[in-house]
Amino acid sequence: MLIELNKVVPNPLPDKIIKTSEIWNLHLRIEPQSKILISAQSGMGKSTLLHLIYGLRQDYTGQLLIEGQPVKQFTFVQWEQWRRRSISLVFQDLRLFPHLSAHENLELIPDINPSAPSVEEMVNRLGLEPHLQQPVSTLSHGQRQRIAIIRALRKPFRLLLLDEPFSHLDESNQNLASELIKEVVEQQEAGLILSSLGSAPALSFDHQYSL
Amino acid sequence: MKSLPNHSILKSCLEGGGPKRELAIASIGCLFGTTMLLLALQFFQDATDYLEQNEGTKNYFTLNKKVEGGALVNLGKKDESFSPAELETIRSLEGVKRIGGFLRNQFPVTVYIWPTGKVGMGSAAKADLFFESIPDEFLDFIPKSWSWDENSSFVPIMVPKFYLDLWNFGLAPSRVEYPTLSQEAASGMPIEVFIGKNRKDTLDGRFVAFSKRINSVLVPESFLTWANQKFGQPNAGDFFFLWKNESIDGPPRSREELIELSQKPAFNNWEISPLGHPADRAPAMSVFKTDDKIIHPSRIIVEVIDSPSSALLTFIEESGYELNREFPEQDLVKKILKGILSGMGGIGALLSLLSITTFATSYRLVIARVTEHAHNLLLLGFSRKQISQIFFSRFLRLFSWVLTGSFILGYTSKYFLLEQASRMNLTLPTGFSIESIILLGVYGFLFSFINKRVIEKSVSDLIR
Repeated sequence: MLIELNKVVPNPLPDKIIKTSEIWNLHLRIEPQSKILISAQSGMGKSTLLHLIYGLRQDYTGQLLIEGQPVKQFTFVQWEQWRRRSISLVFQDLRLFPHLSAHENLELIPDINPSAPSVEEMVNRLGLEPHLQQPVSTLSHGQRQRIAIIRALRKPFRLLLLDEPFSHLDESNQNLASELIKEVVEQQEAGLILSSLGSAPALSFDHQYSL
Repeated sequence: MKSLPNHSILKSCLEGGGPKRELAIASIGCLFGTTMLLLALQFFQDATDYLEQNEGTKNYFTLNKKVEGGALVNLGKKDESFSPAELETIRSLEGVKRIGGFLRNQFPVTVYIWPTGKVGMGSAAKADLFFESIPDEFLDFIPKSWSWDENSSFVPIMVPKFYLDLWNFGLAPSRVEYPTLSQEAASGMPIEVFIGKNRKDTLDGRFVAFSKRINSVLVPESFLTWANQKFGQPNAGDFFFLWKNESIDGPPRSREELIELSQKPAFNNWEISPLGHPADRAPAMSVFKTDDKIIHPSRIIVEVIDSPSSALLTFIEESGYELNREFPEQDLVKKILKGILSGMGGIGALLSLLSITTFATSYRLVIARVTEHAHNLLLLGFSRKQISQIFFSRFLRLFSWVLTGSFILGYTSKYFLLEQASRMNLTLPTGFSIESIILLGVYGFLFSFINKRVIEKSVSDLIR
């Protein structure tokens, strides 16, 4: 999936950040199936970039195109279909349903990707099996992050967005999660954009940008 | 890709507690609004049907010459009848289908009606009455016992249905000795018909039918012809001023009285003049010169093809005739009923409208309470339709209860109202007509459609 940013500047963003950014106010082309790492400190607009691509924000200047079409022209239904079938996002704040169990959270997606590994397999690989029936509200943040990653991987996608997905994971769990992500993304022949506070996860990237 | 069986999980995310008080108010408002609307629609339909069935058809009316002047003048009974030429003129007018004359009694009639069903038992309703007859083809229907001959055991009498209503709603409630009567009960009452000034002849009578067309007390033409020949006072109606010494002596006198006075020696010197024509004086002896008078009708019933044409109305006006549509007061009843039912429907519609608004507001609140979950579900890729459907199903469950409640409440209310109505001999159909049920369906559909749109809009607004 081709993503193009033509001099995109989100509002509000301080001029100082824009001047030093490798993304904002520039022409940037993210090729289909490319793996991109966006690294920056907090407040530089990492989540903003992912939210723009996910259609959560429209408050920017410049032009953002997906597959050659300006996203500002997307209709409500197009966005619905886009999120349902083509893109998956692990939110920084995870957006899980705390009153539901981990398993129920994993079931609560509009469409399932049939070629994705089974829930059981992914849960086992990330060491969450004992916690599957627990309400999410009783899980640690790291456990929740892994649930959110599995949920995102279960959905059909051509582009996977990960917003600081390993911020609460130890190295071992980061490696397990990275391995799973890499496997599913490659299987899907999808692209990937991952934002990170600085430390590079155990994934290979085609490009790395700083904000 | 396949859909997951996640509907119940989805529901659990969106079915948080709602604004119970607002929803209860909206439901109660909707319950009463819908019930009133439903009852108003049904009663409007029932009332219209009832009035149409009980209304004199509009293409029948009666004509008579205008009665003018006071009692003294009219004692002379100026001839108010229609001459054959006048009848022919009316018959030939545009739009007139046929005409028929009213034949009236030429003898005094007093009736005793025994509402208890037995002569001599309880109190009788007594009245000086008149009889008229018209050709049978002008009757709205010919009752079973309408035929009469000299061997018949009773005289069949047909009165307007309106008279029975007057009895039931006017007379009976004010007199304990008079019960309210259904048509069947009224038909069973024995009636003593006294004929003549001194009630020397008595016949038995029965109400055999209640006419919705003719506003008169009708008996078969065969009976009235026979009775007029037998008991009639052919000279009744002829009144004269008696002149003595070039001046009028006392009040007008009937021909009968003058004949009695003819025994007096001075009778030959007196003069008489017809009432209203004092110049036409003639010797008093001329009172004996009576031809057999051919009786012409003074009231006629006219059937027109449609409503009276303007030409006919002009002719009536110019000729000084008086037109009476049968039972015109029903128009007023209809108007009043329409007014009441429109008011009732209006209040029902207003309540419904308010409840739609309250429902809409309540559902915005319902959605607002689960905004975060609904928003996250939309972000996960669930469609607006899927999310809205959960709220809409919840609305439909509540609304179905309200509609069912309205139906039961309306049905029960109508049942009790009909019981009251039946005590007044008003028979209306029970339950709801198919039209009302269809309208209730349309109303439910519209109500649901509006709320569906409100819900969808509220859900869409979550992610804009």
